[in-house]
This record gives sequence, C-alpha cells and structure tokens, in this order.
Amino acid sequence: MKKSILLFGIFLIIMLCLPFFVSGYWLRVLTQTFMFAAIATGSNIIIGYTGYPAFGNIAFFGVGAYVTGVLMTKYEISFLATLPFCALSGFIIAVLLGIPLLRLKGHYFAIATIGVMEAIREIVDNMTDITGGGMGLTLPIMEGEPAYIYKFFYYTIMLIMLFSIAVAFIIWRSKFGYALRAIRIDEDAASVMGINTTVYKTLAWALSAALVGIVGGAYAYWLTYIDPHTAFETTYSVKMFAMILLGGATTVLGPMIGAFILELISEIVWSKFIEIHGMILGALIVFIVLFIPKGLFETFKGGFSLRKIIINLKEYRL
Amino acid sequence: MIIVQILINGLLLGGFYAVIGVGFSLIWGVTNIINLAHGAMALLGAYITFFLFQEYGIDPFLSLPFSFLCLFIFGYILQRFLLNLVVRAQIFMLLILTFGIEIFLVNFMTTFFSADFRSITPEYAGTSFVIGDIVIPYIRLAVFAICIFVTFLLSLFLNKTWHGKAIKATSLDLDAAMMVGISPAKIYALTFAIASGIAGVAGSLLPLTQAFSPSIAGSLTLRAFTVSILGGLGRVEGALIGGILLGIAETLSSYFIGESYKNAITLGIMVLVLVIKPTGLLGKKYFAEVKH
Repeated sequence: MKKSILLFGIFLIIMLCLPFFVSGYWLRVLTQTFMFAAIATGSNIIIGYTGYPAFGNIAFFGVGAYVTGVLMTKYEISFLATLPFCALSGFIIAVLLGIPLLRLKGHYFAIATIGVMEAIREIVDNMTDITGGGMGLTLPIMEGEPAYIYKFFYYTIMLIMLFSIAVAFIIWRSKFGYALRAIRIDEDAASVMGINTTVYKTLAWALSAALVGIVGGAYAYWLTYIDPHTAFETTYSVKMFAMILLGGATTVLGPMIGAFILELISEIVWSKFIEIHGMILGALIVFIVLFIPKGLFETFKGGFSLRKIIINLKEYRL
Repeated sequence: MIIVQILINGLLLGGFYAVIGVGFSLIWGVTNIINLAHGAMALLGAYITFFLFQEYGIDPFLSLPFSFLCLFIFGYILQRFLLNLVVRAQIFMLLILTFGIEIFLVNFMTTFFSADFRSITPEYAGTSFVIGDIVIPYIRLAVFAICIFVTFLLSLFLNKTWHGKAIKATSLDLDAAMMVGISPAKIYALTFAIASGIAGVAGSLLPLTQAFSPSIAGSLTLRAFTVSILGGLGRVEGALIGGILLGIAETLSSYFIGESYKNAITLGIMVLVLVIKPTGLLGKKYFAEVKH
C-alpha cells in the first residue's frame, strides 16, 4: 500500500511538471488520457466495486456535456460554475433510472443501460430548440493564448481525474465500499447481513454517474463543439470497459493505469496505421480479454511471467 | 385503410426482425453469450450477396445458401477457437470480447468495402401485389416467406435431429449433457455456427429491402436484442412473435409519433418489458438462465 502511494506521488509530480517540457500534441493526448482515466475510475464504482456492468455509463458523460453546453450558451453561466450542475443532473438521472433498472442483473442490466443511453441520445437529438439537435452545439471559445488554453484544460481535467480517484478511494476504504463489495460477491447474503441493497446500489450508480457527468462537462468546453454522436459515443463505453479490465476492476488505481496503457497504445497505433486503427483496437480488446482478464494488477502481483498468462487462459475455457 | 397498410408493413418487417433475432436468441439461450457482433456478422452476409450480384449477376435469393455456409464456417471457428476459451468468465468480459469482434468487423468492412450505402435492385424490384388500396411488394412478401421458412427449419432441427436435441440438452444442464457423452465445446461451436449462418441469411435479405452500410451493424444488433427480450431466450417461436411485435410497434410509432423517435420507443418497450417481466413476454425460465 505504501509503495503504491509513493509511486502514485512520483507519477503525480511528473504529470504536474510535464506541460512545461512537451509539445501541444502530447499535451492533448495526455489530456484525453486523463479524461478516460476519470471516466473509467468513476464508472468503476458501479462496475468493479458493486459488480453491475453499466455498459451505457457514457450516457452520463453526454448528459454532462449537454448540461455545460446548454448552460453556457443559453444562460451564459461560467464554465466552472456549470460543473456542479453536471454532477447533479447525472446523480438525479441515475437515481431515477436506478430504482427500476438495478433490479435487473447481469446481461439484462448491461443492455438496459445501453438502451437508456441510446434513448437519451435520441431525445437530445430531437430537442432541437434547446440542444441544437443534429446540428450540434457550439460553445463559447475560451479567451487567451492557445498555449494557455492547452495548459488550462490539462490541469482542469487532471484535477477532475484526481477528484474521481479521491472519491473512489474514500468509498473503497469506507463502510459503504465494503457493503458494495459484499453486494458484488453475494447480493442475497449482503441483504441478510442487513445491507439495504437497493439504496446502496442506487447510491453507487448515482455517485459514479455524477463523476462521469463532470468529465462530460469539461469535455464539452474543451472541444467547444458537441453533437449527439460525439457526446454519446458508444466506442467510449467499450474503451472504458477495456481500461477497467486491463487495470483491474477490483482496485482503485487500476482503471487509471488501464487508461494510460490503452490510450497511449491506441495513440501510437492511430498515428502509425491510420487506415486500420479501428481493426487493431478491436483486436487489442480481444487480446486483453483473452490473456489478462483479471487485469494487470491481479495477474502480475508477484512479478511478470508467461506462465500466469497461460494459467489465465486455461481458467475460463470450456 | 392506412392502418391496415401500416400493420401489413409492420408484419413484413417483423419477419425480417425475427430472423435477425432468432440466432441471437439461440446463442444467448444456449451459451449465455450476448453476441454484440451479431449485426456485423449479418452485414458480412449482406456484402456476400451484394458482391455476388454486382460481379457475377447472381440473383440475391440464390446466394442465400452460400452466405449461410460462409457464415456457418466463420461462426464455428470463432466459437471453437476464441469464445470457448473465455466462456466461463464473468459476463461483462464476454460482452467486451464480442464488442471487440464487432469493432474489428465493422472497421474491416469500412476499410475494404467502403462506408458507402449500398442496395440491390433486381429487375423485378418494382412489381407488387395490390388489393384495393393496399400495396404489397413481391420482394417483401418473398423475404417474409423465407423468414418464416428459416425459423420453421430451425425449429425442426432443434426438435427432431440428434444435434438439435443435444443443443437443447446442453443448454438445460451442462453437466448432465456431458455425462451422456455430449461434448459441450462442439455443441457450443455448432450452436454459434448455426446462429451465425442464420444471421448471414438475414443479412443477405437486407439489401433487397433497404440500403445498408457497415454503420448499421449496431442498430441490427439492437433489434436482435429487443426481439430476444420480447420473445424469451432461445425460443424459436418466441423470436417469430417478438419480431412481428417489434415490426408492428416500429411502423405504428413511426406513423403516429414520428420516425425520429423510433429507436427511443423500441428501447422504451424493451426496458419496460425487462423491468416488468425479465424473462420476456412469452418466456419462462429457460436454458442458460437456469444455471445462473
């Protein structure tokens, strides 16, 4: 535990100093990586801790993006003041949806969340008066030099990521987090032990939705243009899941590590093989599930070895 | 009168949805895998038919067996050498795995066949059958007939042949099936192969009724999913009823509420059914669900 906190501290100092040494391109790549790390960490509260595969959690990302977009363009509220509203709207929607949907389990829950995501996208697409519909929404551009703007978003999204990690960490260490893990392992047993599973599950989903909503808000202002298809991007859901798996779902920092590895790999792949990068991304996801299904943390706890990969491969086969 | 036309359109569309859904439902019911690549696999079938028609002038209906065979082999290999390796893992890993396959296939098709929308118009495309005010294009009628025929054949296969019964046995009780000498690895592969083959047939019928491109893979999978939910898992006759219900619901809602809310309504119906009766409108506890 101490060792990983130390390593995280060193990593943080490097990341804080980095903007003064690297080019705008890498700053952008890293900002995007922070964004995914924040999404994956926030979503992991419901996915990894509680064991409910919320496949469509990107819905809250889109909601957050549109809350910031609409508040900034229609009501001229400043960017940072919109972020609490993003969190709040994600929280409320998740509570309302959670009460009926969290009764479902496994596949059913996963697909119902995909359904919710598609439905919210379509509603946003059709509310042309407020959201601009398919034409999209153009946000006011931030004033200042490009170099300043790059740094501003780098640090803002990094802070959001750290905030998500902090929330995830506090939940993990608290009694609440303990209850969530109990629900994942055996919901009926948890219920018998006196855990109000409905309340805990709903709260877990709402918190994760609030965190993802904040990221969406920052994303909208960063891109300054959103439309229903970029805000509710299905491939983001998949990437988020792959990151959680790669890092390890039952850890606090796993999703962040997964995000860094997968984003950097896909960035390199993207720049080298622009034509077939989608195919490589698909193949990469297949390989992650096949060879390191428990995540890097769990698999290589005592050091790297090929034998562990082979053991993993044998464990789940028919 | 317009309402009758809408209902008939819905019925004809529903036949297509049933064939898209029946394979998906079979895989889910037997192996407990949600195959998110189902729509992409159907599109492979669509491209086979499209290129055979464009390059060699082969009639789309004649290419159906060929596309069944291609997808059958593809599905068998996929399950035997890839999905069987992780079939016992947590469900969301299988979801991601099949989504990885979907991303791969969609990008493969976009790269090599381009993202253009394509369709096939054979010579007899314009002809239709008219009673009073109601117009029924022959092609749609033929597609519907084939859809019914395919689901009928599948039902026959599952109930009458040794392999079909082995599939059902495996899905009801894996351990008991192994005890009587059924190899689950092979049965899973066979199930996936048959379902893929049927997806290929559905895909081959697609270019006859609408334009397609790699980008519609996701919406096809979504339809397949909804049909499975409505009809109950692994039930052939359930998929037929679910498909027709979905087709009618979609055409009715496009007419009364508007085309742009079609998906939201479909999904709303699905979520509602899931919450009220998670085993499907007709379903009982079935197949793979019993194990979990």
